[in-house]
Amino acid sequence: MSEGSKPLIQNTKCECGHQNPPGTVLCEACGKPLTKEAEAQQILEMRYDGVARRSQKANPGFIDKVWNFFSSVKVAIYLILLTLIGSSLGTILPQESTFLNIDPSVYYKEEYGQLGHIYYLLGLSHTYTSWWFVLLLVMIGASLVICSLDRVLPLYKALSRQRIPKHMSFLTRQRVVYQGTVEQDGAEWVERVKPLIKKKGYRVRTDGGTLLAEKQRFSRWGPYVLHIGLIIFLLAVLGRNLPGLHMDEHMAFPEGEPVHIKNTSYYLMNDGFKVEFYTEEDMPNEFKGKGKVLPKKFETEAILYVCESNCNTPGQEPQLKEVTRHNIEVNHPLNYKGLKAYQFDYDLTPILRTVSPMLIDSKTGEQYGKIDLSIKDPVREYKAGDYTLTLTQTFTDFGLGDDGKPVNLSPNPNAPAFLFLIKGPNLPADGIQYFYFPKQVDKERFQQDAINAQLAGGENLVTLDVLSMDDVDFAESTTYLNIRVDKAMPFIWVGAFIGMIGLVMGFYFHHRRIWLRVDDGTLTLGAHTNKNWFGLRREVAAILNQMNIEVDEKSLENNRGSQA
Amino acid sequence: MGKSKKSIQIVILLAIVLIGVYAVATVVFGSDEVPKVGEKAANFELLGMDGNVHTMSEYEGKARVINFWGTYCPPCVREMPALQAQWEKWKDQGVEIVGINVGENKMTVENFVAQTGVKFPILMDPDRDAVASYGVGPMPTTFFVTASGKIHHIRIGELDLDTLDKQIEQLVKAK
Repeated sequence: MSEGSKPLIQNTKCECGHQNPPGTVLCEACGKPLTKEAEAQQILEMRYDGVARRSQKANPGFIDKVWNFFSSVKVAIYLILLTLIGSSLGTILPQESTFLNIDPSVYYKEEYGQLGHIYYLLGLSHTYTSWWFVLLLVMIGASLVICSLDRVLPLYKALSRQRIPKHMSFLTRQRVVYQGTVEQDGAEWVERVKPLIKKKGYRVRTDGGTLLAEKQRFSRWGPYVLHIGLIIFLLAVLGRNLPGLHMDEHMAFPEGEPVHIKNTSYYLMNDGFKVEFYTEEDMPNEFKGKGKVLPKKFETEAILYVCESNCNTPGQEPQLKEVTRHNIEVNHPLNYKGLKAYQFDYDLTPILRTVSPMLIDSKTGEQYGKIDLSIKDPVREYKAGDYTLTLTQTFTDFGLGDDGKPVNLSPNPNAPAFLFLIKGPNLPADGIQYFYFPKQVDKERFQQDAINAQLAGGENLVTLDVLSMDDVDFAESTTYLNIRVDKAMPFIWVGAFIGMIGLVMGFYFHHRRIWLRVDDGTLTLGAHTNKNWFGLRREVAAILNQMNIEVDEKSLENNRGSQA
Repeated sequence: MGKSKKSIQIVILLAIVLIGVYAVATVVFGSDEVPKVGEKAANFELLGMDGNVHTMSEYEGKARVINFWGTYCPPCVREMPALQAQWEKWKDQGVEIVGINVGENKMTVENFVAQTGVKFPILMDPDRDAVASYGVGPMPTTFFVTASGKIHHIRIGELDLDTLDKQIEQLVKAK
């Protein structure tokens, strides 16, 4: 486009008397070429029917200049090219978001060397969430909206206000042209040809000896419908960042406990986790004999609950209602109203929940009674027969500090330990202190019996011990699920669907127009379409032949200027 | 006609600018949810050792020192007496010191508090909700929040009595 060379102020009044807005190429009323460039064209440039774009103004202000910038297709193409280059840069190395737990400032240097570090420093390790990439997307969006508005409104006006009589120079400079003599009066001839054109599916309007036939005008709106679809698509992509519309979390679910999914009212419980391993025979050859353990299939029996009350009240049990259950396998996620849970990983380390050890007399072996000890949330007082046990210290991850005193190493129940004060018959009046390690490994590692003997003054009077596995309640495994919510997805589909409709409108339907006028026994016909000229020529030739005008399809091609 | 055209143009351009600013701002600031000095401190709703639910907003109008700790974190344990001493000094002068225990059960916290003689309010964050909204990484981390709710200073690492005293003094002045 060479708008720059055009004089800004020009006389835009056509000889037919119509006042055209500045920037008009072809008179809005009669189609006469108005500019020198259009005048010089052998075949008229029919883009937007030669109307002025909305932004073409005599004296553009600041707002107009911004508007003009975005209304330019050239700018839009540059923006798209820049975005293409930018997004391809983001594919050179894996993006930060593909890793779960890395420090990008170190990771890229270690993994990819100095170039990797430069890649990170340039911000390309998060290309798609960088300010410049999003700014480019926003500018493309702006360009889409403004380009469309700038063209669709004038085009709509031009097409809905078409005048039937057209200037001779407009007709003879169409790509499909016929000129010949007819014997009848103009108006009569036009009335005769009208039903023939109608039969081809055209809407026909006549005005004396002139005629305008048109079909499938709606295909002209195809690009704009596509643009609306793209804008919805873009807005949906931007809108994903709104709180609550998008979530992508990896969470651990120990067996048998409902776990709250943050920022939702849902709880998900791992009701059982199964994993099958390949036997040595089934294993692919490259893994045979290497002592590898390959899981064949793993499955989480998941139950999804919705919280009905006491949801966000700390210290109160939430009231849960089951909404759905599903066996989650790789590629078979749980899906409930847009909340998806994908199988991601598992851990077969058992986690103790409750132990019910028996208080036993160390000498006689007499069993006094069982206590129920919750590992995660123990209570203060316990009763075992005539004995009372008071919990005085708890450890989730027992260890010894630098000073040799017991300390807690982490909040994770790796090595739970409990210090009781036990009172009862045959014990000192103040009671005795007793350390209890529910896990057998810890009992041995920290020498439970030796510590307790020391605490009790030399010998073990009582012992806490589980008698059978029935007295131990534990989560056999933990499953890791990837919880995803993407509420913007429906809008992305809607946008894509509208875009598709626009593409079909624009690609599979053609806007065809035929103008004709009879002046003193001379018929002049011009026809225009935006694609498939071959089909249009054939239609025009068929109509003319039916009117007893012998004409070859090919001869309708307007080859002025390129005469063979 | 010309005027309405112009105002439509302005409305469309404004909408684009707003959406653009929002989109760029969310990717630039939204990706790291770590609160920074000068920003408003996030709210929380946690169960306290006193059995009541406490929120950040109930301390509105008071300068606040929010300390994230755990019994498994030796520097956290070491700095407890300093916090306790400062709480006693400042509690009548509009300063609240709140300890948020991270990820432990009530029994463990109760025993620890009884042993160390901590009297200032201790809240429990078993699910690490407050940890997430305050973007706490290594512990101890202490947030100094002004009476108007703005983060005045963030201290990562162990506190000592003297610097803590000075920092609280500055915090009170920073109203």
